[in-house]
Amino acid sequence: MAPDVEMKVDDETKKEEKPEAPAPVPLTPAQIITANIALVERAVSTLEPRFTHRVLRGHNALRRKLDSAILAEVVRNVLSKDVSTRDSLLAYIPDSTAAAESMDVDSAKQQPASDLLPETEAYVRLLVLDFLLDKQHYAQAIELANDTVARVQQLNRRSLDALGARIWFSYGRAYELSGNFDDARPQLLAGQRTASLRRDDETQATLINLLLRNYLAYDLYTQADKLVSKTTFPESAANTQLARHLYYLGRIRAVQLDYTDAHAHLQQAIRRAPSAQTAPGFYQAVHKLSVIVELLMGDIPERNLFRHPVLARALAGYFEIVKAVRAGSLSQFQATLAAHTAQFTADKTYTLILRLRQNVIKTGIRRLSLSYSRISLRDICLKLHLDSEEDAEYIVGKAIRDGVIEGRVVHEAGWMQCDAAKSRGGYGTEVSDVFGRRIAFCLGLHNESVKAMRYPLNAHRKELATAEAAREREKELAKEIVEGEHDGDDDLGDF
Amino acid sequence: MSSLPQLYQDLKRAFDARPTDLKKCGQLLAKLKVAVIENGLFPPRPEAKESDLIVARDILEIGAFWSIRSKDVPSFDRYFAQLQTFYTDYNAILPPSPREYPLRGLNLIRLLTQNRIADFHTTLEALPIDALHENPYIKHPVNLERWLMEGSYSKVWGAREEAPAEEYKFFVDSLIGTIRNEIASCEEAAYDSIPLKDAALLLFFTSRSDLMTFAQQRGWQISLVDEKIIFSRKGEEKAEIPKQKLILANLSYARELEQIV
Repeated sequence: MAPDVEMKVDDETKKEEKPEAPAPVPLTPAQIITANIALVERAVSTLEPRFTHRVLRGHNALRRKLDSAILAEVVRNVLSKDVSTRDSLLAYIPDSTAAAESMDVDSAKQQPASDLLPETEAYVRLLVLDFLLDKQHYAQAIELANDTVARVQQLNRRSLDALGARIWFSYGRAYELSGNFDDARPQLLAGQRTASLRRDDETQATLINLLLRNYLAYDLYTQADKLVSKTTFPESAANTQLARHLYYLGRIRAVQLDYTDAHAHLQQAIRRAPSAQTAPGFYQAVHKLSVIVELLMGDIPERNLFRHPVLARALAGYFEIVKAVRAGSLSQFQATLAAHTAQFTADKTYTLILRLRQNVIKTGIRRLSLSYSRISLRDICLKLHLDSEEDAEYIVGKAIRDGVIEGRVVHEAGWMQCDAAKSRGGYGTEVSDVFGRRIAFCLGLHNESVKAMRYPLNAHRKELATAEAAREREKELAKEIVEGEHDGDDDLGDF
Repeated sequence: MSSLPQLYQDLKRAFDARPTDLKKCGQLLAKLKVAVIENGLFPPRPEAKESDLIVARDILEIGAFWSIRSKDVPSFDRYFAQLQTFYTDYNAILPPSPREYPLRGLNLIRLLTQNRIADFHTTLEALPIDALHENPYIKHPVNLERWLMEGSYSKVWGAREEAPAEEYKFFVDSLIGTIRNEIASCEEAAYDSIPLKDAALLLFFTSRSDLMTFAQQRGWQISLVDEKIIFSRKGEEKAEIPKQKLILANLSYARELEQIV
């Protein structure tokens, strides 16, 4: 995506800023910003939000290149008319006065737009805000974020939505990084209400996610669940927000023991997420959770998952757990759990992994039931390291009831009789169900892609015109041919 | 305003007395609830005095214990919900209460006996990890849940006397009821038949008549001649082809294909 954006930005600068000079190969951040501002303005004038989206897509790459001199320059140029805003923003930028002179020559060419659009101002504010975050000035960032959010809400322009959503995101980030995430909650909830009243989908999506993140950061699963049940996540939300939302949903469902649902959400999140190389953190987090959920469902995750270059290191502890569960060995499981407690606690998967204990036992029993046709309860007890034969009897009974194994307990003789052959039932209706679901998914995908195709406004007119011209030419040609033949004939006759 | 401290002292005295005067506590609590609200301590506000907030919390805690002692679970539920605010939102302002973990533990057991496992885990998630292993009040329900899930019912049975606080015993009875039903459903699936004597042992019944009534409730066949319970097998479910569903699916595929082509 990045090269695409840069290339287009290139075009923009050439056309609008300095048509005669060849565009320098690596654009300076200042130039990119100017180009971006032009794009934002174009988005407003043509009512096409996709230009703003394009700016935001390149935003993170741009963030890395910013420094205070460039930023101060941009603020000074763009906000030259609005003195109060300019000065308040400049106050946030450390040593903003230093580089003022040196850039003046350059800036003379970059004429700011004649009258300042609120979108432009919001964009500049966003730049400053993210800059403060990157430089870890959290207190100032929070102050600016509050100010900016208030301003965006007061303006209430639909063309501001995309930028507003991004500003909210930085707002949440500022609070989170400063460690006072719970202080942001009332504001976020208020913002969410306003956004849903204004049908501002993008801001709504961002805010729902921020709230969920906020609740989950403090382990408030009940509140998070209530929030999910009371809101509808906007369908038109951006992919990244959707992926996040699915991840949070997966997390909530996993805690509530609804593993099937959790697994479905996490799978979707993995599919929707940006590629592993661009967003490794998210990719790892989702996979950690999904490995555990898969285990809790009684499945064993595929081995090649743990060889993935991005995941291999991060999932090492989880791989050990998977091995223990696969082997059905309680002692190995406990040892692994003890060895990696710190990591699991940090990942907030510890309590989920604790629940795996029963799965380890179940796997153990299952293995025994497959390899023996009859085994005494005492041996089960020894092999699975259970505390007593009595326990073994109950556990086997429960496993049979839960459908983990097929068999009977013969109490008088004190053994478990296994009829493993029966469990190989093979094909049932679930095969056609799965097949049906896949077809539905593909058809849905096709329909979505058809819907997503976009046609430029009035483009067909041009085509019509050319078609018209072509027909005209054809007619002429035909006429010429006819005439030509005549001519030919004439020529011949003349000859 | 003046009545609150007086009533609070009365309540404390009545609650600490052995045996506790439950009726008097109930009357005092009803009055105190009004007093607390009149004094603006519930819902709590951060600008209230710390000592006042602690009094309000104490009153609610006593109320929660009182509900358990007078076997009123819905009332416990209400008191605990009100206490949540104090425990989660005010933990930075107020000193921790010695009754917090016993009450949290009780709440967990309540969820367990009502078989609300999802809520149980959600609540558990909000507690610090060390509490799961070290705090006796939390460890107890956590262990119970684990044993129940594994099927180590004899351990649950064994732990019923090890309750860390007096109030936990109130839930033991309903817990035993829960595990008996669990065991019974396991037996139905796992055994063809079982001697009466062993069944009594497995179900923790000491008297034969108790077992008989229980067996009747579950509709078990008892053969008195062999002294056995015989579990009737449910017939294997027949695999049926869901015609309607398949037809619908095929029709929708046809329609979609039509659209594509």
